Amino acid sequence: MWDFLVDRRGQIAYQAFQHVSLVVQCVLLGTLIALVLAALVYRNPVATSLANGLSAVGLTIPAFALLGILLAPFGFGIAPAVIAVTFYATLPVLRNAVVGLAGVDRSVIESARGIGMSRPATLLRIELPLAWPVILAGIRISTQMVMGIAAIAAYVLGPGLGGFIFTGLARLGGANALESALVGTIAIVVLALVLDLLLLVVGRLTTPRGIRV
Amino acid sequence: MSATQIRRDAAEEVPDEAALGPGASRAGRPSRRSGEWRALVIQPVLVVLGVLAFVLWRATATLSETEARQLGAAALWDSTLRHLSLTAVAAAIVLLIAIPLGVALTRPALRRFTPVVIGLANVGQAAPAIGLFVLLAMWLGFGFWTTVVALVVYSALPVLRNTMVGIQGVDPRLVEAGRGMGMSGLAVLLRVELPLAAPVILAGVRTALVLLVGTATLATFIAGGGLGVLINTGITLSLDSLLISGAVLVALLALAVDWLGRVVEYVARPKGL
Amino acid sequence: MSDPVPTPVAPAAPERRVSGVPIRLEHVTKRYPGQDRPAVDDVSLEIAAGETVMFVGPSGCGKTTLLKMINRLIEPTSGRIFLGDEDVTNQDPDRLRRRIGYVIQAGGLFPHMTVATNVGMVPRMLGWEKPRIAERIDELLDLVGLDPDVYRDRYPRELSGGQQQRVGVARALAADPPVLLMDEPFGAVDPITRHRLQDELIAIQGEIGKTIVFVTHDFDEALKLGDRIVVFDVGARIVQYDTPEAILADPAEEYVAKFVGAGATLKQLTLTRVNSLELRPATTATVGEAAAAAVARARAAGDELIVVLDRRGRPISWPTVAEVSRMTTIPATVDEKLPVVGLGSTLSDALDTMLAASQGGAVVLGRRDRLAGVVTVEMIMDVVQRTRQEAAG
Repeated sequence: MWDFLVDRRGQIAYQAFQHVSLVVQCVLLGTLIALVLAALVYRNPVATSLANGLSAVGLTIPAFALLGILLAPFGFGIAPAVIAVTFYATLPVLRNAVVGLAGVDRSVIESARGIGMSRPATLLRIELPLAWPVILAGIRISTQMVMGIAAIAAYVLGPGLGGFIFTGLARLGGANALESALVGTIAIVVLALVLDLLLLVVGRLTTPRGIRV
Repeated sequence: MSATQIRRDAAEEVPDEAALGPGASRAGRPSRRSGEWRALVIQPVLVVLGVLAFVLWRATATLSETEARQLGAAALWDSTLRHLSLTAVAAAIVLLIAIPLGVALTRPALRRFTPVVIGLANVGQAAPAIGLFVLLAMWLGFGFWTTVVALVVYSALPVLRNTMVGIQGVDPRLVEAGRGMGMSGLAVLLRVELPLAAPVILAGVRTALVLLVGTATLATFIAGGGLGVLINTGITLSLDSLLISGAVLVALLALAVDWLGRVVEYVARPKGL
Repeated sequence: MSDPVPTPVAPAAPERRVSGVPIRLEHVTKRYPGQDRPAVDDVSLEIAAGETVMFVGPSGCGKTTLLKMINRLIEPTSGRIFLGDEDVTNQDPDRLRRRIGYVIQAGGLFPHMTVATNVGMVPRMLGWEKPRIAERIDELLDLVGLDPDVYRDRYPRELSGGQQQRVGVARALAADPPVLLMDEPFGAVDPITRHRLQDELIAIQGEIGKTIVFVTHDFDEALKLGDRIVVFDVGARIVQYDTPEAILADPAEEYVAKFVGAGATLKQLTLTRVNSLELRPATTATVGEAAAAAVARARAAGDELIVVLDRRGRPISWPTVAEVSRMTTIPATVDEKLPVVGLGSTLSDALDTMLAASQGGAVVLGRRDRLAGVVTVEMIMDVVQRTRQEAAG
């Protein structure tokens, strides 16, 4: 095991970087998409139900199935991995953003409008900051979830630590198969926990003091 | 859901004294149930339409011999049944293990282990499913039961956590009231705590079920069978029709199971909650 | 009005400064789709510059809707609205609202922003320079009786309900708008705090002279605060629009009489303000000064009590001469139960305050919490006697 770690340290570090980079970028992109969608729908009840339905249904679709479906038009490689991971990263954030925005006290919004803040300014300066803790909780759920999904994405030759797991599977019984699968799995667990901790810190730093619990 | 919001919007349209008060939220209660009820009807309709579309496509598409064999009625039925039995067996085991364990961990004697278990559960949650499948296969060998073990390990967490959270969320005064009127500890658990925690526990069960259907697709990698085989074969042989058929069928199955879970939640939720 | 007592403050009433502009509503109607009766039905109303006009009426009568049409939080279906001579019916609503202060229940403060950020919001949107905004924030906090150094960087949840409401008023006044709209602002605070907030609003209005439109369902509040009262019925039909005195003396319809309620003589106590009485001067002593000197002054003036002021001239306690004569220097102890009323308080408030403190008198505060004199229970009883005699004779 130790030998494996030492011999492959370069490759492990590289794949770990790839994995985290894929996850972080997709979560960022997913958050952006989710916020834009939420901002578009949260004032319209029909659109809100649609968005809620979409995130509920989307989350029931198995990751391996979606990856499979994406292979048909996009072929092997980065594209299906990025699309699938972003898709799953978007959904929890979308759900929480809609809930968070809907939960902002109406009297606060009314007084923002009452002192002459425009609609976009009210959204940016009042509603989003107040909904932020809920949105951030969604981002944490997303990140945890897509760390595992990114591992499956390695099967369609996406980047990341999933490669070690599939290598282990392919070489089953052969040299270093167990080591390979163990390294992939444990590295993902550790990185997921590190990212979660980071998000916790980000949450502390970005939540306005007036609404921190 | 939509009914609530339409009603709330109507309240916003008349923003005089009463409408913005707490009356608005009170009005939301009965309509929430009717909104849920509507979603409960729409979801199976979508699933049935999806299945019909698939059947229609299967009947009209021109397929190669391999594809036609893999997508034959008998083969598909076998894969689906296999997928469902993986899910059902794992689900049954999860319920048998996770709910009693969750209950036990909320009893006073064992309560001090709760943070440890929750912490472990959170770490476990971060483990990638595929890694778990492969490692377990290396240890236990390939096949149906290894898959079941992997599925149980992976999907026990939501049920365990929701059971604990649900029971901990029961108002302690109600428990005290139960004890105060002479109910035994077991009676309080069965008549007060579990019924009140039921919505949360059932939500956990539904999450686990959906997770199971999805994760069972990975069974193909360790010879566990199921609909994942279609996807995997499609990928390795570059047969898009197989690939997409498998993916679509699994997605429809997940939606159907999710719907079943919602129906159970709706029906089993104690009246008055 | 006779020249009031030795007070550091000038009387509020007659020659007060007016910075507000008149508001004119012409045939304003609001119709909601799917409702057969309009919420506001063809209302025309003129509000004079610098006056406080109270909207009262039952729940759902459309008074709040009418108020919100003035700053166009609700768009009127038809009709025109003027601020001064300017037709604002088609003006950009955001720009319009920056010129109209708006106060709602609990202040509607932004919970994620400090008190200073909340108050400075409108000036910032109007593009003021930073130093000017900072200066304005301190000035306003001072105006509403909150020490800027203490409260500037606090968050709303760190304030009591009354303090939040004060910040709400300060925020509404930030850009010095000529018009202030208040939508049941004191509905969510306890009665004692409500009385204090009302007193402070009267004092502030005495200094700034805005045009204030104030919605309330509490008729006593309307009597106390209003220069004029509008009594509404369903559809925002104006039943009576007059001074509080006139409405009490001569209710336009049975409906108004019912609304005014019984006990009209005692309502006079609600109409008469402390500043219309000839307040008794009080012997004062400042924290840290020699007790003997204060005792000597009190004996010379024939006072049995001494008002102790802090270094900013605000009363903090009200000990007897006997108590003070046992001390060497005047202590800085703050008496939490000190009975305090404002110049704008009604006699009814003053009586309440004395009863609550079990004292036969109360200390009267003028502007910026400075001492204006003392009111006693005997002075109030005199007023009751006089009103009785006038009514009888």
